[in-house]
Amino acid sequence: MQTTICAPVTGEGKTAVSIIRLSGPQALEFARQITGPGVEFTPRKQVFCALKDGPNVLDRALVTYFQAPHSFTGEDIVEFAVHGSSYIRGRLLEILCRLGAVPARRGEFSYRAFLNGKMDLVEAQGLCDLISADNKEAHAIAMSSLDGRLSSRLEGVKQSLTHLLAQIEVRLDDVDEEMTPLSEQEISSPLTQAISALQKLADTFSVGKFIKEGLKVAIVGAPNAGKSSLLNALVGFDRAIVSAASGTTRDTIEETLDVNGRKIILTDTAGIREHALDPAEQEGMKRSIKALKGADAVIMVMDASREPTLQERSLWQDVLAENKRTILAFNKQDAVLQNIQWHPGEGKYSVVHLSCKTGDGVEELKKALTQDLTSGAAEDGVMLSNLRQYEAVLRAQTELEMAQRRLENQAGGEIYAEHIRAALLSLKDLIGEVTPDDVLDVIFSKFCMGK
Amino acid sequence: MFTCEDVYDVVVIGGGHAGCEAALIAAKTGSKTLLLTQSLDTIAQMSCNPSIGGIAKGQIVREIDALGGAMGKVTDASALHYHMLNTGKGPAVHSPRVQCDKKVYQFTFKHLLELQPNLDIMQDEAVRLAVDDNKITGVLTLRDTFYRAKTVILTTGTFLAGTIHIGTVNYPGGRYNDMPSNLLAKNLKEIGLHTLRFKTGTPMRINARQMDVSKFRLQPSDNPLQAISHFTDEKEQSKRQFLQCYITRTNLETDKILRANAHRSAMYSGNIHGMGPRYCPSVEDKIKKFPEITSHPLFLEPEGFNTEEYYIQGFSTSMPEDVQRALLKTVPGLENTPITRAGYAVEYDFSDPKDLYATLESKLIPGLFCAGQINGTTGYEEAGGQGLIAGINASMKVQGKEPLVLRRDEAYIGVLIDDLVNKGVNEPYRMFTSRAEYRILLRNDNADLRLMPYAFKYGTIEEKYRRPFERYQQEVDKQLQHPGTAVDDTDLYPWTPQKVLNHADVHQKYAGYYERNKKDAEKLAQADSIKIPAGFDPSTVKGLLFESSQKLQEVRPLTLGQASRIPGVTPADIQLLAVHIERYRRLNRESNA
Repeated sequence: MQTTICAPVTGEGKTAVSIIRLSGPQALEFARQITGPGVEFTPRKQVFCALKDGPNVLDRALVTYFQAPHSFTGEDIVEFAVHGSSYIRGRLLEILCRLGAVPARRGEFSYRAFLNGKMDLVEAQGLCDLISADNKEAHAIAMSSLDGRLSSRLEGVKQSLTHLLAQIEVRLDDVDEEMTPLSEQEISSPLTQAISALQKLADTFSVGKFIKEGLKVAIVGAPNAGKSSLLNALVGFDRAIVSAASGTTRDTIEETLDVNGRKIILTDTAGIREHALDPAEQEGMKRSIKALKGADAVIMVMDASREPTLQERSLWQDVLAENKRTILAFNKQDAVLQNIQWHPGEGKYSVVHLSCKTGDGVEELKKALTQDLTSGAAEDGVMLSNLRQYEAVLRAQTELEMAQRRLENQAGGEIYAEHIRAALLSLKDLIGEVTPDDVLDVIFSKFCMGK
Repeated sequence: MFTCEDVYDVVVIGGGHAGCEAALIAAKTGSKTLLLTQSLDTIAQMSCNPSIGGIAKGQIVREIDALGGAMGKVTDASALHYHMLNTGKGPAVHSPRVQCDKKVYQFTFKHLLELQPNLDIMQDEAVRLAVDDNKITGVLTLRDTFYRAKTVILTTGTFLAGTIHIGTVNYPGGRYNDMPSNLLAKNLKEIGLHTLRFKTGTPMRINARQMDVSKFRLQPSDNPLQAISHFTDEKEQSKRQFLQCYITRTNLETDKILRANAHRSAMYSGNIHGMGPRYCPSVEDKIKKFPEITSHPLFLEPEGFNTEEYYIQGFSTSMPEDVQRALLKTVPGLENTPITRAGYAVEYDFSDPKDLYATLESKLIPGLFCAGQINGTTGYEEAGGQGLIAGINASMKVQGKEPLVLRRDEAYIGVLIDDLVNKGVNEPYRMFTSRAEYRILLRNDNADLRLMPYAFKYGTIEEKYRRPFERYQQEVDKQLQHPGTAVDDTDLYPWTPQKVLNHADVHQKYAGYYERNKKDAEKLAQADSIKIPAGFDPSTVKGLLFESSQKLQEVRPLTLGQASRIPGVTPADIQLLAVHIERYRRLNRESNA
């Protein structure tokens, strides 16, 4: 059976809309899992619906279903038109991979289209160029992962899984029962270690992506709360503007900063800068919400010298509902005369007290902003930065978890071996292939086998 | 020179386990076949251990049997001890092993060959292959007879330039006292085969007259037994008499003697250059590599019903004879048993299997097929499986029909040949279940379901079994769909209701894994169904990685699936190939239209 593949078909750059394509026999099934029941897919009709990320909403998107063979690839296709944020894009691909989709190689949609007779010979030439470019690139990535830090990180996992596999296989071959059987502990403990190592690595993925593409941060809040002073504080104190470019959207400007060595993109700063021209608080709030949607992280600025307004409280609820990296910044600490009574409530966010005027607390804010980014990364700074690597690690982890579950009901060595082998196979591009001969090498070097 | 008036479709050189299966199946599939062997008295000889089957090998025997080969039937006919291995583990690793009476085995097989229509057997030694215009045309023998042949199957075992080593003594020999085939070995080099050296060994045989059985652990024959052939009547088989095997162990005394004489072993004398199988280490090897293990098990296996000779499994050695005698005296129960034949090591030529297509036909010389140890394998079963495939494919080639290439998800024989031709060998290749990524699918209990449809297609199994087999398939399906329903045994024999239930049970146990393996296997089958057209040259494909392009030219895969299994070839390489093959096909279609 063909795999179901996914990839963005719009560019990586700043676009208003990104399109993620999912193609293969399970496309519709995966799409249904993301939209939840109740969404009707009619071929070639767009539906506007929410995309779920666990209990939360990742984005609202236009979703189109193309039924095989009437599609670009000749297979079932579902296309998601999501907001052009790298976070949404990355997260959607991440979720699709978790469901069992595989990241498409470059040219793979066209490849399938060609084999399904959707493309003529002339078009095929361009396709070959695409594939061969991908071949070189993937080869280069594999080579660099193979002698890079990532592979040395995984070397331990490889060694211990290969060794465990050898221990299991040698007992499957030990017909005279010369060896003591492996205890449950002897199997489960290397499995647990490998799972946790892979889990740690998988956790670095979204982080790694932010580091490469930059973290989009929306500064939101009431016009007079101090957003622009905060921006100036961040830009000014750092003197580290990498670039300042006007977006294509009329009222969006992005500032790219280097904060503690991390790429931070402050978005919708236009709204902040021009607030004087647009004094209506209502309008400012609208802008804030829009900026919020497209961001990977949010800084909500509040005036610490007064109780928040109703609008501010409701904005704060919206911010929390987005379930993004969130920092609640209380500005104007220099002017605080009395403690405010308002309670921000339960949620995942950090609180920073600062004064844009004096600069107090700005460092703390920067730390909060970037600390979030590195907490997922491993101590040695190794992280997964591309989706293929992430998907590979994820699949390996799932296999090992399955082995562990089967161990609980004592399914037998040939079953554990099946999963361990599958896990090693998934990691092939990161650690190199572990062949049956490699396993036999371990067996023959460690055990006195044979007659 | 006398030129034989007959023109043979297939000439098989060598009468070992590969040669016998090859000759038999070629004749069965309608090809006029000649089997050439140095000696009719050693045809189908079990040169090493007296057992057939074992871990992963037992599955191969079941596959040979399901494809219409003889090994399983001959094994049951000569069985003296049955043991189903690994019954304490999952059914995917259950493997039948049967101890045989070596003489009965050999003569049963000889008789089968004699009875086979279309098959001539001749005692003579092949010395030269006639190759004309890069095509095989015949075989010249030592007695200067020339046999014209359309195809030739080489199954030379350990006889090509064989050298026997016992301690520091060495002499030319293919097996103990049998002469090697030195002229043929020279000729094969001349016609361009890439030959290399391997080594293997065998333990001493003893006279058990004064063996002290009280010091051994008993290994009785299974009761009830499971026949290794699908066609054997198990009830009748159970009424026969069986023998016992025994287990004893080496000890510190054995250790001491081995250590003191290490320098005298042929292994360490510097005389042996060929690589030996790590799975069959000599006892001196075991001591050297695992000094912490001071006691190794030894398995005593009778060589037959009408002999006191025993084979000592685990005691393979190339020590000088005096050391072999001294070693034996240290083993509990064997103190007073004299050696009847000394253990030895044998070095021989094999031909690089990467020079073969998956059909086992040579890429260098069309019409020449190779099977068994000449391809760098070890073991009767591995040899038999290859012999069977080479026999069918030589026959099909002559008849202009599609060859039989088994996939990795279909048979261990498929795994074996795929590994050989794509990866080559650097030690004698022995099958292990861990080599099969579809181990769950490739079981002893379903060899018939997997492969018998091919046998009926090729006519290698008698027509009278067709109906029972189809009935068995029906009953199995019924049982899987509706577990617990009664099995209808009408026209089922030689299959039984019990087999239906067993199979359903195993299937149930592996339910989820079946699906998983099947899914992967389907992908594989799909890739394998895409044939690389004969006129298609992978070197014209731009964008392939350099190393991949080289490997593709070296291996010359027949299908896209095979290409994908060549180490180092990337998925993108395969996609490029697929696009180019499709392009090639469309262009040809257009130009033909």
